[in-house]
Amino acid sequence: MTPIVDIRKATKEYRGVAAVKDVSFTLHRGEVHALLGENGAGKSTLTKMIAGVVQPTTGEIWINGARAEFRSPSEALKRGIAMVYQETSLVPSLTVAQNIYLTDNKRFHRLRGIYIAGQQFLQSLNFPVDPTAMVSSLGAGQKQMVEIARAVHHNAQVIIFDEPTATLTPEEKHQFFSLVKRLKQRGVSIIFISHALEEALAIADRITVMRDGEHVVTEVTAAFDREKIVRAMVGRTLTGELYGSNKDRSVRPAGEKVLSVQNLSMGNMVRNTSFSVFAAQITCIFGLIGSGRTEAAKVVAGVLKRDLFHGGQIRLNGRPVRYRVPRSAVRDGIIYVTEDRKIEGFFETMSIAENIYLAAMAGGQAKSAIVSMREMRAMANEWVARLNVKTINADARVIELSGGNQQKVVVAKALVQKPKLIIFDEPTRGVDVGAIAEIHQLINHLADQGIAVMVISSYLPEVLQLSDRILVCRQGRIVEEFEGHKADEETIMYAAVH
Amino acid sequence: MQVFAGLSQERIVFGLALLLCILFAVALPGFLTADNILNLVRSVSILGILGVAMGLVVIGRGIDLSLVSLMAVSVAWTLSLIGRDMPLAEALAIGLVFSLFIGAVNGWLVGYVEVPAIFATLAMGTLVYGFGRYFLFDLDVVYMPDSALQILWLGQGKLFGIPVPIFVFAVVCLVGYLFLRYARSGRYLRAIGDNLLAARVAGVPARPIIVLQYVLSSLIGYIAGIVTAGSVASMNTRLAISTYVYDVILVVVLGGIGLSGGKGNIRNVIVGTLLIGVLLNGMTIMDIQYTVQNVIKGIILLTAIMIDTILNPRDEQTAQQGDI
Repeated sequence: MTPIVDIRKATKEYRGVAAVKDVSFTLHRGEVHALLGENGAGKSTLTKMIAGVVQPTTGEIWINGARAEFRSPSEALKRGIAMVYQETSLVPSLTVAQNIYLTDNKRFHRLRGIYIAGQQFLQSLNFPVDPTAMVSSLGAGQKQMVEIARAVHHNAQVIIFDEPTATLTPEEKHQFFSLVKRLKQRGVSIIFISHALEEALAIADRITVMRDGEHVVTEVTAAFDREKIVRAMVGRTLTGELYGSNKDRSVRPAGEKVLSVQNLSMGNMVRNTSFSVFAAQITCIFGLIGSGRTEAAKVVAGVLKRDLFHGGQIRLNGRPVRYRVPRSAVRDGIIYVTEDRKIEGFFETMSIAENIYLAAMAGGQAKSAIVSMREMRAMANEWVARLNVKTINADARVIELSGGNQQKVVVAKALVQKPKLIIFDEPTRGVDVGAIAEIHQLINHLADQGIAVMVISSYLPEVLQLSDRILVCRQGRIVEEFEGHKADEETIMYAAVH
Repeated sequence: MQVFAGLSQERIVFGLALLLCILFAVALPGFLTADNILNLVRSVSILGILGVAMGLVVIGRGIDLSLVSLMAVSVAWTLSLIGRDMPLAEALAIGLVFSLFIGAVNGWLVGYVEVPAIFATLAMGTLVYGFGRYFLFDLDVVYMPDSALQILWLGQGKLFGIPVPIFVFAVVCLVGYLFLRYARSGRYLRAIGDNLLAARVAGVPARPIIVLQYVLSSLIGYIAGIVTAGSVASMNTRLAISTYVYDVILVVVLGGIGLSGGKGNIRNVIVGTLLIGVLLNGMTIMDIQYTVQNVIKGIILLTAIMIDTILNPRDEQTAQQGDI
């Protein structure tokens, strides 16, 4: 049987640097194929070639046994290949049905007509989405359904998902998986890029692992287990096994109470929540997306604006504080490390050195009263070495680094401000496996030094691995507390969803 | 394309300015005369000083459309105060304080009230002109009284045979450069231009820096205004409602300071000033109609931006967080 997608020795170079090197890849009809690899492994580029977003420098793409040279995504779509991106490409101000029929070759649509057609169509896919609803009012899972519906409407034979589950809640993930199964039954082939290995193991028929732009291995899923995938991804066995068992682990005893939050409320995201964070300990806050954990942390660090602040008390070392801007919190030693480094983590026009030095100045930790190039350089070299940032030198721009190294720079910016309480919000999001281990080591090291560490995470293995105390956040408040070494995934998840 | 990879907008514009200079010198008989060069240098200097003011604001991801109005009105007020027998220093101080105050209000509107800079300063420009015209002086053109001849030196004097405005421009550039590179607030200014949210989270005093940004621009604008008054012995407040402020923006953008903030330096202002100054002067000598001049300026701006985009593409792929 001819494979539906057949890539033969494809290479893609960006300015002489190969993002994908000599990769061959096949996708069979009705197959779910997981594509795994660290950030920068070339997964996105490979799939973008299939979807016509980028063109291979050398090599051939065969679709259904015929040579294809796509110059644009719409050409690929005509041949039945659709890509669903991480960030959705829907128009938020249009309704669901309008979005589905948006790119039809028809100049005018009767709204009533497309609502009726949309209703039937969505029902046939078994998607619980109202075709007349505005896309902006939908949740992440429903948006994804609309994207998929649009792809199916275009008779997509191949649907490529780029990190489809990253923004979904567990419930939505569950729906997504059953959806994938239904698509498969309809004969649709699926390529699935993911960082979540369990998901790949659960739903894929075959798994391909890439590393540094090269193809490493392709096998049926049954031939893989976690460890084998991780080994293929990183090309080495990680020391201490990344997310190992936490049974024989000891927890740090609580130090002095650094932060105490009482009855904090803000809008309808944080509802009358109370918790404490202690020195020399890692306190993990686990909660699903939308449970108000980030908002609570941002109020503590003064990042969220005061006019949304409804009440409650925050005490730092017993002293009541109420920050209106992050600056005063930073000066008191409360440092917030953002979950979205692109939006509020670093300065993209600046070098690594300038980024770090700027944080030092803003945190009142730069010695020289005016900007000292010597101090900047020394500081940057020190942190690049300490955090093992992989870069040519400290003058490289942060935007040019890989996700993991960008995150290290963001962390360096926080550490240079000498935190007493440091809040990591999803510290390993979009970070490759190797850097995750390094960042975890660093977080442990901070707690050992006596700093109060707060980690917000929605990834359970990470929570279990890191925490001395686990707080579970649900619907805007902390509902349960566990000791780090006694909890297990099921109990934590149970507390988070019920 | 690889050969041209080292070319930045800045270098292209500098090359163009030189080319234009040579072209005008050969083709235009009136261009290389001593009179015209003096005139050119003077107008270029004033444009350049205003360019530095605008450049600082634009690097901080703002824009100051009230720059020229404020300059015209505060200097005209100063002159009319001197005309009513106020001592020179006192009149200058009053004009300066007025200018700084309006700058601070601009900054307050943008930083604290969070009005978009383009609207806040546009409205402020109109307000200031109307206010000045109605309350502060009677005629559109306020002439320099005899008691203020010291100011003339700033506009028409020479130092070591070189016109003084050039020195003023140089000093403003130097101070601007040092500010951006060595002052903490200069670094903060660039940081909020690059990424306001990240700067806030890092503990940069974002709002005070935004106020500072507009106060600086009105301060430098006032200096430019005094030099203008000195060079023509009057202040024509109709400047406030002319398109002069767009020439200043042209200088800044053409030089390569991105309107999206965080990018560029004083060097870019100098280069942009050179090109626009030479161009405006040449076109005036050629007696090209004002409206046609605007067409040419517009075309040049578009061309420069186009070339920059082709040579330095914002490649989504390489800009992505390493996920290629």
